[in-house]
Amino acid sequence: MLDFFGSIGSLIMTPLYYAVSGILILWHELFILLGLDAASGWSWALAIVFLTITIRTLLIPLFVKQIKSQRNMQILQPQIRELQKKYGHDRERMTQEQMKLWKETGTNPFASCLPLILQMPVFFALYRVLQQASVNGAEGARGFLSGEQAELLQEAVLGGARIADTFLNAGQTGGDALPTRILTMVLVVVMCVTQFITQRQLMAKNMPKEALEGPFAQQQKILLYVLPFAFAVGGVFFPLGVLIYWTTTNFWTMGQQFYVIRNNPVPGTPAFAAKQERDRKKGKLVEEKTPEPEARPTVQRNQQKKLTREQRRKLAAQERAGQDRPAKKPTGERRPNPNASKKKGPKKR
Amino acid sequence: MKHVLIALLRVYRFAISPMYGQVCRYHPSCSAYALEAVQVHGSVRGSWLAVRRLGRCHPWAAGGLDPVPPRRRRSRSDSVTDTSETDLPQEIHA
Repeated sequence: MLDFFGSIGSLIMTPLYYAVSGILILWHELFILLGLDAASGWSWALAIVFLTITIRTLLIPLFVKQIKSQRNMQILQPQIRELQKKYGHDRERMTQEQMKLWKETGTNPFASCLPLILQMPVFFALYRVLQQASVNGAEGARGFLSGEQAELLQEAVLGGARIADTFLNAGQTGGDALPTRILTMVLVVVMCVTQFITQRQLMAKNMPKEALEGPFAQQQKILLYVLPFAFAVGGVFFPLGVLIYWTTTNFWTMGQQFYVIRNNPVPGTPAFAAKQERDRKKGKLVEEKTPEPEARPTVQRNQQKKLTREQRRKLAAQERAGQDRPAKKPTGERRPNPNASKKKGPKKR
Repeated sequence: MKHVLIALLRVYRFAISPMYGQVCRYHPSCSAYALEAVQVHGSVRGSWLAVRRLGRCHPWAAGGLDPVPPRRRRSRSDSVTDTSETDLPQEIHA
């Protein structure tokens, strides 16, 4: 049974070893051509950084497509608000309705799982390539890596720290343990900080406040503060090279998110308000605001449909009568809903 | 096997998934879908459903509502297209 899974695993991983080691070696050779020493940690560290950049660059089409499918978010905003009035009390139903609306209009603010699914195996393959080189040297060569190159990788030293070693096995396969330990910890801290900033910025600026409610959001908020510690503990198992990859990819994600928050913020968030403010200063907002008043009548129409003819007649009579409104049924029914959903937001935060 | 998969999915959903926030274009999200699919359909068919869902979750897909198909009814095709209101509530709370 275990053997069976092992062979399935290697069936999946072997091509990935080739892909990752191939890209790694290409960059490594390039840096050698540019005059870096093949055995130095710098050529390998830079090769890892550029491996990250290569992979994230390959994923840009996905990112662009995602940004494009966010375009209509603003036009849909009135409809979303309407849904909130209707289903604001029921998050599950609200999410369902929102998803339906997005599907109908071909709009979706989320990136999809594909980028994650593509990056995880790469991450794991890099981990295996480095770890095998670290522990087994020439015999641990994976993919396109020759035995000689695996040994170079095993011995590669960046400011005294060995790239293929982890915090835990530092010094066990030769070299000095302390620099490796220091540098891995430094990178873990950088990683945590970038992750934390990215996540917090997303939550503080680019999430509508309804999305910050509910048990899942609560869990996410807690994790925002717990994760750095989890990383610090988990980081001891990862080779320095993997931490370099991770840190680089975090910086990339952060950059992408800055871009999104600045140029394509989610409507109804602080980032969106900030963008409107900027656009207003440039005098560009006039065009962008047009969809809203157009769509507004639908909101009113739908609400009135809910009233029966009799209720509407009563309502009209009341309006004619003027201010004296001693809490009659129709108005009583209509009013609380929007108010309740409005109150919910700030209260729960 | 089923319980191993469920445990793995739970760990992912608890520890790894929140790191990325919501990325999934569907509801329920891919990992929630996988968890439910394995619970309802067992490890083999559940994994197959989950893999197919992951294949569907890319930026060119519209996303939207995509619940796990119910158990006894054979529902190859309608798991992709069916978002009609009729079978929304009971499946998701299941």
